[in-house]
Amino acid sequence: MERRNFLKTALLGGLAGVVQLKSNGLLARGGSISVAKENDLVAVMGGEPEVMYAKAIKAMGGMSRFVKKGQKVVVKPNIGWDKKPELGANTNPKLVAVIIKDCLSCGASEVIVFDHTCDEWQVCYKNSGIIEAAKTAGAKIGFAHDEKYYRDVQIPKGVRLKQAKIHESILDCDVWINVPVLKTHGGTKMTISMKNFMGIVWDRRFWHANNLQQCIADCSTITKMPALNIVDAYRIMTQNGPKGKTIEDVQLAKALFMSTDIVAVDTAAVKFFNQFREMKLEDVGHIGQAEKLKVGTTDVDKLTVERIKI
Amino acid sequence: MYKLLKRTRVWLSLLFLVLITLNFLFFANRETQFFFVLLKFQFVPSLLGAVTGSALVFIFLVILTLLFGRVYCSTICPLGTLQDIITKTGNLFKSKKSRRFKFDRPYNWLRYSILTIVGALFIFGITLPLAYLDPYSNYGRISSEILSRSEQLIHNGFSQIFPENVSFMNYSVFVAGSFIFALLFLLVIVILSAFRGRLYCNTICPVGSFLGLISKLSFFKPVVNNNCNHCMACVQKCKSQCIDVENQGVDETRCVACLNCMQACKRGAISYKFSWKRTILKRILKEDDIANLEKIDSKERRRAIIAIGLMGTALAARAVNFGPIPSAKPKITGIAPPGAQSIEHLKKNCTACHACIAACPNRIISPATNEYGLDGILLPVLSYKEQFCGYECNICTQVCPNGALVSMSVEEKQLCQIGKAKFSLESCIVYTDRTDCGACNEHCPTKAITMVPYRDYGLYIPKLNQNICIGCGGCEYICPATPVKAIIVYGNEVHDVAQKPSLDEQKKIKVDEFGF
Repeated sequence: MERRNFLKTALLGGLAGVVQLKSNGLLARGGSISVAKENDLVAVMGGEPEVMYAKAIKAMGGMSRFVKKGQKVVVKPNIGWDKKPELGANTNPKLVAVIIKDCLSCGASEVIVFDHTCDEWQVCYKNSGIIEAAKTAGAKIGFAHDEKYYRDVQIPKGVRLKQAKIHESILDCDVWINVPVLKTHGGTKMTISMKNFMGIVWDRRFWHANNLQQCIADCSTITKMPALNIVDAYRIMTQNGPKGKTIEDVQLAKALFMSTDIVAVDTAAVKFFNQFREMKLEDVGHIGQAEKLKVGTTDVDKLTVERIKI
Repeated sequence: MYKLLKRTRVWLSLLFLVLITLNFLFFANRETQFFFVLLKFQFVPSLLGAVTGSALVFIFLVILTLLFGRVYCSTICPLGTLQDIITKTGNLFKSKKSRRFKFDRPYNWLRYSILTIVGALFIFGITLPLAYLDPYSNYGRISSEILSRSEQLIHNGFSQIFPENVSFMNYSVFVAGSFIFALLFLLVIVILSAFRGRLYCNTICPVGSFLGLISKLSFFKPVVNNNCNHCMACVQKCKSQCIDVENQGVDETRCVACLNCMQACKRGAISYKFSWKRTILKRILKEDDIANLEKIDSKERRRAIIAIGLMGTALAARAVNFGPIPSAKPKITGIAPPGAQSIEHLKKNCTACHACIAACPNRIISPATNEYGLDGILLPVLSYKEQFCGYECNICTQVCPNGALVSMSVEEKQLCQIGKAKFSLESCIVYTDRTDCGACNEHCPTKAITMVPYRDYGLYIPKLNQNICIGCGGCEYICPATPVKAIIVYGNEVHDVAQKPSLDEQKKIKVDEFGF
C-alpha cells in the first residue's frame, strides 16, 4: 500500500511538474517580447524568491535569452556549509529550484548542480536543502569533492592566478548560471558572485596563500564565464560570515539581483548590503581589481538598470 | 527439534554477522545507525559498558551462558560466525575424511594463563591486551581495515563506470600498522579455523575461556546418554573438538552450544539436559568414582564461581577508578574523539573495535600509532589532514558500544573541547604576505577566531579566543600557510567544556531602497 501511494504521488507530482514547467516557459517567452530594450542589471525586492526571480528574469528578457534548446546547463549555487536554509549560509533552495525549472523549460538538455563545499560535501548537499530541491526540479547532482572532477585551465589574464583546476561540468557545459548568496566574509569582507568561483576550483588554499582578493579577480577573467549571475539576497548574512553561527547572523532582506556583468551585480549587492551594515565598495578588494582587469564595471549608473519593488 | 534449533542458530548468527558488518561499511553506515545497538550486545563492550549503561546487556549475556552455555560464542560473536564460515569454505577443498574433527584435549594451561593475565591487567585498568584479543573488536578491525577497503575499491570501480551516479570515494585513513595487525589476525584465524575449527575460541580468546568457566554452572548442558553406540558422528561434527565419546563426556568449557552434535546424532544420544548436578553421568560411572567425581565437580564449580566473583571485582574495581599502574608518562600528541572524556578514560575503555573510525562521515578518525604512547596503539585518534570534525555531527559518540566514547547530544558535543587551537602570527599569510586570507575564521563554527584590523594596511588578521575553541580542526585543515600551518590544534588530555559562543544579537533592519 505504502509503495502504491508513493508511486501515485510521484506520478502526480511528475505530471504537475511538467504542466508547471510549460506555463513557466510561456511566461518567460511572453516577457521577452514585452521588454523593448534588454536590461544590464535587474534588482528586485519585497517578494518570495520564486516571485522575485520571475520578475527579474522577465525584465532580463527571459531565460531563453541565455539558454537555448538542447544546451547543457550548469546552475552553480553556494552550498559551502552544513547549514539549514534559514541560516542563510547557502543559496536558497527555492531559488535554485525555480532556475532549474526555467532552464529546462527553455529546452536545456540537462541541468547540473554542484559546489565544491567546505564542510563535508554530502551533509552540505543534504542539509542545505539543495539536493532535494534540485532533484525534484529535474537537475542532476554533480560531484565536486575530489580532484579527479577538475581539469587544468590556463588563465592568461590573471595577475597572480595563472592557472587553476576548474570543475569539468563548468568546462563541458554550454551555459552556466552563477547563483551565489549575499554574505559577509572574514577574509574578503563580502562573498557574492565572484567569490562564488571558489566553488568551481579545486585548490582554494592556493588562493588564500597568494593574495586572495587578486586571485578572485583573476579567476573572473576565464573565458568560460557565467551567462548570468543571480544574487540571492532573500536572507543575507550580515555578521560572522561566511559560515555564521545562529539565526541572529541573518537579516531577512528579500531582494534579488541579476546581471550579465559580474562586477556590476556584485557592486549593486554591496551597495544594497551597505544599508544593513556598513561596507565600503573599496574594502571588497576583488571587485575593484576585477574592474581593472576589464571584467566589468562598478559604475552601475552607466548601465541599463531596472529596479522592481513588489 | 534440534534440527530446527540449529537452523535458527545458523540464521541468527548470520543475521548478526551481516548487521554488524554493515556498521563498518560506508555505503550503509549513514542510513543504518539503528544497527549500532547490536554492537552493544557483544560481550566485551557490554562488560566495559556495564558501568556506563549496558549493565542489562551484560547481565543478559551472563544469564544466557548460565542457562545454555556459550550461546554467545556460537550465535552472537561475529568472529565465531566468521570462523564457522571459514571452516565450511575450507571443507570444500578437503576430502571427506579430512573434514572430520577428532576429540582433542583442552590446552588449559595456555587458555587460563591468557585469561588470568588479561583479566588481571583489566582489573588494574589496562584494557589493551583485552582489546587485542577480544573477538568482537578484532572482527571490527578486520571489517574496517579489510572489508571496508575492498568495498572502497569496488565502489570506486563503479564510480568509473557510472561517473554521474556513483561518487568517487576519494580518501580513507590508512595506517599500515593497523592494517597489518588486522591482516595478520585474519590470517591466524583462517589457518586455525580451516584446520582446527574453534581452536582460537577455546585456546586464546579470553572471552571464550571466561564464558567456558561460567558454563560449568550452566543449568542446561549437552550430555551423552546410554543410547550412544560410539558411532562418532557427533565427534566428527564438533568444531570445538570437545566431545569425548570414550568417557561419554562433553567438555562444556569448550562447547560453544552450536548444536551440530545433536543434529548429527541419529539416536538422540546427545542432548541438552538439566544438569545442575551431573546425575546422568553419575549413573553411568561406578560407585567408587562418584565420590571422586563429586570432588572434581565441586572443585570445577568452585573455579567457575571464583571466575564470576573475579569479574564482579573487576567491575567494581574499575567503577571506583582503581586507576592504571603508575608508569612513566608517555608524550601524548593525539587528539581523542569527542566523548572520550580523557585519554585515560579512552585507554581504559576502548578496545579499538574501530566502529567510530568506520562511522565518521568525515573520515578523520584513524588508528593511533604512537600518538597516545605505546599503550594506546590502535586506539582512535583524530587527524585534520583531509577533513575536520563536523560541527553538527555526533555519530562517533553514538556508535561506540563500550562507552569509551560517551554518548553526547549534538548540543553537548558542540561545547565539548577536545583540544585547543594555537595561533602563530609568524606563519600567518596576513603577516607574511600582507594580503587578506581569513580561511581559518571562515571555517570556525564557534567564531573562536574573529578577524580584527591589522595595523593600518586595511587588512584583518585572526584573533583566537581559546575559551570558545572546541578543537574541531576546521582552521588547521584549511590554513594555507606552508610549510608550517599558522594555526594548529593541540589535544586536551582531559576534555573540557568550552564557553558557549556569544549570540551576537543584532537589530533586525528593514530597508525600502536598493541603495544604489
